[in-house]
Amino acid sequence: MLAVAISVAPAAEKAASKFESVSAFPGSVKLHAGREGHSLRVSGRDTDGFEQHLNGAKLVSDQPTIATINERGEIVGLKPGKAVVTATSEGQSATLAVEVVAAPDRGMSFQLDILPVLTRTGCNLGGCHAKPNGQNGFKLSIFAYDPKGDHYNVVKDGRGRRVFPAHPEESLLLKKATMKVDHKGGQRFEKGSEHYNTLLRWLKEGMPYEQPGEPKLERISVFPEQRNYRRGAKQPLLIRAHYSNGEVRDVTRLAEFDSNDKDLATIDEDGVVTVGSLAGEGVVVARYMGLVEISRVTIPAENTFPDSLYAELPVNNFIDELVYERLQTLGIAPSHSCTDAEFLRRVSLDIVGVLPTAEQARAFIGDNDPGKRAKLVDELLEHPGYADLWAGRWADLLRPNPQRVGVKSVYLLDEWLRDSFRRNKPYDRMVREIVTAQGSTHRYGPVVVFRDRRKPEDVGEWFSQIFLGVRMECARCHHHPNEKWGQEDFFQFAAWFKDIGRKGKGISAPISGDFETIFYRKGRDVTHPVTGEAMKPIPLGTKPVPVPDSSDPREALADWMTNPENPYFARAVVNRIWADFFGQGIVMPVDDFRASNPPTNEPLIDALAEDFVENGFDLKHLMRTIANSRVYQLSSTPNDSNVADTENYSRSYRRRLPAEVMLDAVADFTEAPLSFQGMPSGSRATATWNYKLGSEFLDAFGRPNSSAQCPCERDVRPSVVQALHMMHSNKLQAKLADKNGRAAKLAASGKSPEQIVQELYLSAYGREPRAEEIRVALTAFYGAEATRQTAIEDVMWALVNSAEFVFNH
Amino acid sequence: MTGINSNCAGQSRRDFIRLGLGGAAGLGFSDLLRLRANAAAATGQSSPNNVNCILVWLDGGPSHYETFDPKPEAPDGVRGELKSIKTSVPGTHFCETVPELAKVADKMTIIRSIAHKDPNHGGGNHYMMTGAPTPVPVGCGSFVTFHPSFGSTVSYHRGVKNGLPAYMTLDRVSRSGGPNFLGAQHAPFVIGGDPNRDDFQVRDVVLPREISEGRAENRRALRASLDQLERIHHKAAADPTVGFDSFYQQGVGLVTSREAQAAFDISKEDPKVREKYGRHSLGQRLLMARRLAEVGVSFTTIYYGGWDHHTKIFTSLPKHIKPLDQGVAALISDLDERGMLDNTMVIVLGEFGRTPKINKDAGRDHWPHAMSVLMAGAGIPGGQIVGATDVKGYHASENIYSPEDFAFSLYTKMGVDPTTVLHKNTGRPVQLVNGGAPIKELFV
Repeated sequence: MLAVAISVAPAAEKAASKFESVSAFPGSVKLHAGREGHSLRVSGRDTDGFEQHLNGAKLVSDQPTIATINERGEIVGLKPGKAVVTATSEGQSATLAVEVVAAPDRGMSFQLDILPVLTRTGCNLGGCHAKPNGQNGFKLSIFAYDPKGDHYNVVKDGRGRRVFPAHPEESLLLKKATMKVDHKGGQRFEKGSEHYNTLLRWLKEGMPYEQPGEPKLERISVFPEQRNYRRGAKQPLLIRAHYSNGEVRDVTRLAEFDSNDKDLATIDEDGVVTVGSLAGEGVVVARYMGLVEISRVTIPAENTFPDSLYAELPVNNFIDELVYERLQTLGIAPSHSCTDAEFLRRVSLDIVGVLPTAEQARAFIGDNDPGKRAKLVDELLEHPGYADLWAGRWADLLRPNPQRVGVKSVYLLDEWLRDSFRRNKPYDRMVREIVTAQGSTHRYGPVVVFRDRRKPEDVGEWFSQIFLGVRMECARCHHHPNEKWGQEDFFQFAAWFKDIGRKGKGISAPISGDFETIFYRKGRDVTHPVTGEAMKPIPLGTKPVPVPDSSDPREALADWMTNPENPYFARAVVNRIWADFFGQGIVMPVDDFRASNPPTNEPLIDALAEDFVENGFDLKHLMRTIANSRVYQLSSTPNDSNVADTENYSRSYRRRLPAEVMLDAVADFTEAPLSFQGMPSGSRATATWNYKLGSEFLDAFGRPNSSAQCPCERDVRPSVVQALHMMHSNKLQAKLADKNGRAAKLAASGKSPEQIVQELYLSAYGREPRAEEIRVALTAFYGAEATRQTAIEDVMWALVNSAEFVFNH
Repeated sequence: MTGINSNCAGQSRRDFIRLGLGGAAGLGFSDLLRLRANAAAATGQSSPNNVNCILVWLDGGPSHYETFDPKPEAPDGVRGELKSIKTSVPGTHFCETVPELAKVADKMTIIRSIAHKDPNHGGGNHYMMTGAPTPVPVGCGSFVTFHPSFGSTVSYHRGVKNGLPAYMTLDRVSRSGGPNFLGAQHAPFVIGGDPNRDDFQVRDVVLPREISEGRAENRRALRASLDQLERIHHKAAADPTVGFDSFYQQGVGLVTSREAQAAFDISKEDPKVREKYGRHSLGQRLLMARRLAEVGVSFTTIYYGGWDHHTKIFTSLPKHIKPLDQGVAALISDLDERGMLDNTMVIVLGEFGRTPKINKDAGRDHWPHAMSVLMAGAGIPGGQIVGATDVKGYHASENIYSPEDFAFSLYTKMGVDPTTVLHKNTGRPVQLVNGGAPIKELFV
């Protein structure tokens, strides 16, 4: 869009300049005579093709009586007519067409003119007057979500003490903000400043809320939308507001700014971007009156590798091409391939959550079939552990607190999830079955989600996050600070869940022993909390879809969600699965898709989503594609170019094993069975169906807290409690010393210490020990008081307490 | 915040000397203890950052009538069957159920005027363990968490030092005692078991019984040479195995620190002291908490449930309170005698008080409109009663404080800024304490 309007005049002394050309944005402006000015941005294109902001360009108007340049460098319209402004810098110039028209005969408006000032000067920040109870008696809505309420509070509340129509200058509103009277929030602007004058003019005009027929703000735009920068470059953004009547205003000084990656680039309160010293891509966010736009910041790598490096990299599927493309832009070379042993351990833990056995490791390493990695992936996808691992992942998103909704219904949900993954139910169908679930909580697993979340608002907020990757929580109370979502969007989405009938005992914690039946019944309207208006069910960020009047609207919602064209649904799930395989989502956090939090590799997430949809929402297909990619099979050992890369998949990122997988790994390695309350001895931790089953181990390793509401964030960080537990727990020692455990069996066997060490390495790490490792491990057998049993226990202790065991690498 | 804890330079110094003499093993752990003591000695006063807390959680909601707020003037049907007794503070009376605490009333403050509006266990627990009400009504049996508990917040604020988790709980976690969005590493470290038993061991911080020190050392040496996965030390690489190593080092430091190990071994305590706390599970848990505070555990919760006296309160409560009376009184005296009271805050509370009207089963039901909270140490004045309930004990009626005020005060005492804004994992800002103001009587 930015390129369209630019008109560049050829320059005379081009040869002398380091810039090939100079341009000005916008190419043309339309101004109201006697009203606020409009600034412009002058850029020069250097010989390397970088556009650079040119500070202090000289601006000259050819019709200074029509349009002139003010002290801030803005173009100001004086009387109707046309003018041309020439911007000269670096010996070159660009021109800009100015049209000045008579200002519309329109007075000041609270909505249009005053709220932006209150927002920009920070009056309605969460820590100031937008606190839940306001500040010192004066309350504004956060991010101005309730303009009518704000108008009331400024003009009428407190018996109108904040405004003094007879002497506008004496209004408390102005005196506080300028610190004429004591103000805890300090001075917000000076007397005579632009903000001051705006407020004063509005006070003088009688403080109207709006003007008849005033234009509506439709969108904002940012210049530049995208730019390649050199390190350390500075770029002032230009934010323009576009109104329903075609009016365009420069609102840069009224906008607020944020950067999503402050290492890459920062942005100050005036909207000046300062680029850091790293190569990469990020966005800065501009916000004005609930509208959000981004400007993309690209800092190309300084040292790039030749094309041949990337051309020669092996490509297993489209993932590799798209990742390499990105790496090339960033000047990163990927790590080399992981070893077969590493691959076996990694992919087994990722797909089924189970350590490979010594036999599997020997067989896989010794297999000469060039297609053995792909064959292994296929085998794992049919392994019974698959359903248990992935049902557990979804349980993190869905599983309610059994002490709230009842044990049986939680158990049934768990069964249903395991069954769905066992049968590889297409993902669209699985989600549809949850979203439209009805019936008895004692008969049909998914129903319990509606027993747990009882208000349409709670269901909508939850589902949009877990199934669509859109966090609407903010928009429940006010406009989302970094996204387009407003309260209307939130409550329109909640309205999908208004027609849910519930019959039965309801929640009677702590037991909730009785069942509840969920069915379709016309329910109460969901209303907008500010306007009180009844909300119609409308999908997120799009036009309404037809909703039949006499049947459950959830069916129509499921149709929209699982439609192949849905922009959120497939992307959200492929990102989740990707994150499970790489420890890092293409969007992070995995359920926080928004313009201001863009994917690190947009083509990649698009291609994955498209492939997933084309293949019938088949999760196994998606996992197979990921696991077969060369990128998934890279080593975790970095090279000089990718050591700092943590989001472009140029190497494998190490991940601590999740709680249940870790416990199963310990149990498999020690061959000492686990036991959980109410489950048969020998049950696996990935088969636990309830976070309340007591386990110090699982708690230490960050299993979700069953008392918290899902989606449950898992703490995947290592911690001192984990280290203490692994090193000193009586329970772990008991597993090592178990009479029927691996140590005891090996001790009683005829194997030599060296064979034993080999066995332990293959079982724990899926690889053969190196000669030096054997030598060190054997010392355990020769201690003065060592027996075969204690020596084996001690080696095993050392292995499970090592990073190579605790991490997937 | 300095100046809030203003007294007793001498005791801080004594603290320093005692710890200094004990510091034989020159490891990081002892250094930490010495540093803390040094800091206290240098400033001549305890700093809120040195204050540790022992919180006794009376799950179920103890009656205020039958503990610290007897109402001998109240009419029949409200007054109850138990008498009030004099305390060591002239003019202050407790119920006859707490004779030992009455003797040390001069070392504590009783707040009689904390009130809120949640009469359910689930909600009341949450309010009094986190300082935040539940955003939705929560039933009586519910275990819920919407906000980080006091202990988790203190852990988040202070972090793990030298392998010692900052937040521990004996012998089980209370309903809302978890970390919520602060993450599992700030969950309470649960020390199960009964310290009154001979075979009691604090889990995970001491070697398993069958593992000798020599064998443990061999194991660690073996691990050091076998843990071969290459570490990526470049900071930007964000390699989690680097943090993993530092946690292991801390864990080793803890298990090889003679002082820390001695602290965990309650059998090393003078038998007379053990008797004083009472040779019962609660008494020994309280003693264990003191020992944990000595080695720098920032926040220890003692769980002591069984206060939901809907029936026969006049016979069951006096029995149930006996170990508490003995143990907490011993704890406060002991801390005082050891010069630890300045740096240790003792809090005893439940989720609410109980109904004025005695019900048909000779019990009292849930009543959040008045409750009594015991607080001692950390510069909290002794012999003080804060606020009051009306003459019949229905409502807090003077200097009424909210759970938010209580949370504000607790955090201030521990050097945590109560106006901190935390962020949930959705990025949403959350006030650590929503409003609230210090309970001024605790800061005189």
